Amino acid sequence: MKSIEDNPQGITEAEIVVGIPSYNEADRIARPTGQADKGLRRYFGERSSVIINCDNNSPDGTRQAFMDTATETPKIYLSTPGDVRGKGQNIRNLLEKAVELKAKALVVVDADVTSVTPRWIFNLVGPLFEDFDYVAPLYVRHKYDGLLNSNIVYPLTRALYGRRVRQPIGGDFGFSGELVQAFVEADAWTDAVDNFGVDIWMTTVAVRHRSSVIQSFLGMPKVHRARSSQNDPDMVFRNVVGTVFDLMGPFHDFWKDVKWSRPTALFGFGMGEVEMASPVEVDSGVLWEGFSAGVHAKWEIYERVLQRASSAKLEEVAGLPKDGFEFPIALWAQILYDFASAYRGAVVPRDELLDVLIPLYQGKALSFVRETDSMNTQQVEEFIEDQCLQFEKTKTYLLERWVQG
Amino acid sequence: MAKVLIVDDEEGIRMLYSMELEDEGYDVVTLPDGKDLLKTIKREKPDCIVLDIKMREFNGLDLLQSIRKEFYDLPVILNSAYSSYKVDLKAVAADYYVVKSSDLTELKEKLRIALEATIPKK
Repeated sequence: MKSIEDNPQGITEAEIVVGIPSYNEADRIARPTGQADKGLRRYFGERSSVIINCDNNSPDGTRQAFMDTATETPKIYLSTPGDVRGKGQNIRNLLEKAVELKAKALVVVDADVTSVTPRWIFNLVGPLFEDFDYVAPLYVRHKYDGLLNSNIVYPLTRALYGRRVRQPIGGDFGFSGELVQAFVEADAWTDAVDNFGVDIWMTTVAVRHRSSVIQSFLGMPKVHRARSSQNDPDMVFRNVVGTVFDLMGPFHDFWKDVKWSRPTALFGFGMGEVEMASPVEVDSGVLWEGFSAGVHAKWEIYERVLQRASSAKLEEVAGLPKDGFEFPIALWAQILYDFASAYRGAVVPRDELLDVLIPLYQGKALSFVRETDSMNTQQVEEFIEDQCLQFEKTKTYLLERWVQG
Repeated sequence: MAKVLIVDDEEGIRMLYSMELEDEGYDVVTLPDGKDLLKTIKREKPDCIVLDIKMREFNGLDLLQSIRKEFYDLPVILNSAYSSYKVDLKAVAADYYVVKSSDLTELKEKLRIALEATIPKK
């Protein structure tokens, strides 16, 4: 599928590949490229390596900016053809290239991350040479950075697959050569995976593959470009949640036998003082409007998707005033399990089903913001931990619903 | 019955936990520090470890990282008189963190869950 490859140094093999997926990142890509080069030379100078920009044929000059970045590490530019877009498309090109290069370690770093350091490269690559297959990032993040992850993706994937990967859609990962091969051979590449669903797809496939998972603390908070119009939050929601639901079908034989959850090993300590993340502002008014308008407009669909007890409780929640609003976590877990079951049974067309889940997610996010308003980072982590336990306790409900179809 | 290894430098805690957990039907093995921890794990093959954090010459959080390296999927419950160690990211590698109390209800509950936790093997 790749239509453009610029490999000026004719690289045919590399032990370590650092991949930087991009679209219109001409003004930012020099930073991760330069840091990757420093990290590779400083910590892995004895190994062969290459930095690959996997791009969506960006019209803003990303290719030139990447190739013009001075590095001692060789570089390759890959691109999808014409106007083919999507992060997943870039990742797919990257995975295939990594297999071709016989890479033992592949690291992916988002192009818009300005906080990447050489140490990130060490922390993402290092465990791959110590028998780990999948390195997930642990960042310092503000409590409101990643609401979709904290309220749906992390608790749901943790309850389903039993492994506590705190940032399953973090965007910066490390994979062993064996796992890269497994990705390339895996089925279930969907349109959503070709776009923003690719991160959760890789995490889920890795855990399902029973890879040895380690979370690596990256020290610096993740600082990246604010979501722009090209990253429409509703599209991100549909891609990510749709991918979680899509994978539940083929992976049912695995997750039905998972009980509770287990931690992972950790890597990357002793980096001194940890910098705090910058505050993230959340517009509670937008969440409230989205929830209250959506829940009334889509009520007929909720009645079809939800079990009677859940819809009755949701009706009660919808009647709460904004000032006293709270979305109970046990209800939220049941609602997500109802939606997952309905998605499988195509009770409502799948795209429509994901769309009508958005107002409920907005309500849950609003409740999260209200409940954690006065909490510090650690207290919020404990709050999320309690939510995850609720998802795990409620999993028997999902198992029953899944069997009912 | 499941075997639990208690690692704590307070003799009173080791005795209390041994009595209470044996009454629940567990086999209990104890260690007063982390000196021979890895050897003891290899020899005794415990199903779960209850690990103190602040011991005289040992830090339970560092011991936890060593356990994860050699025994990736062995359940470990951190058990400390201090709740402040929860802030330490190293605690993420534990299955659960339980603050010490004379009432062992929470510890027993977390022990039960940790022993029930299942991820299908290859």
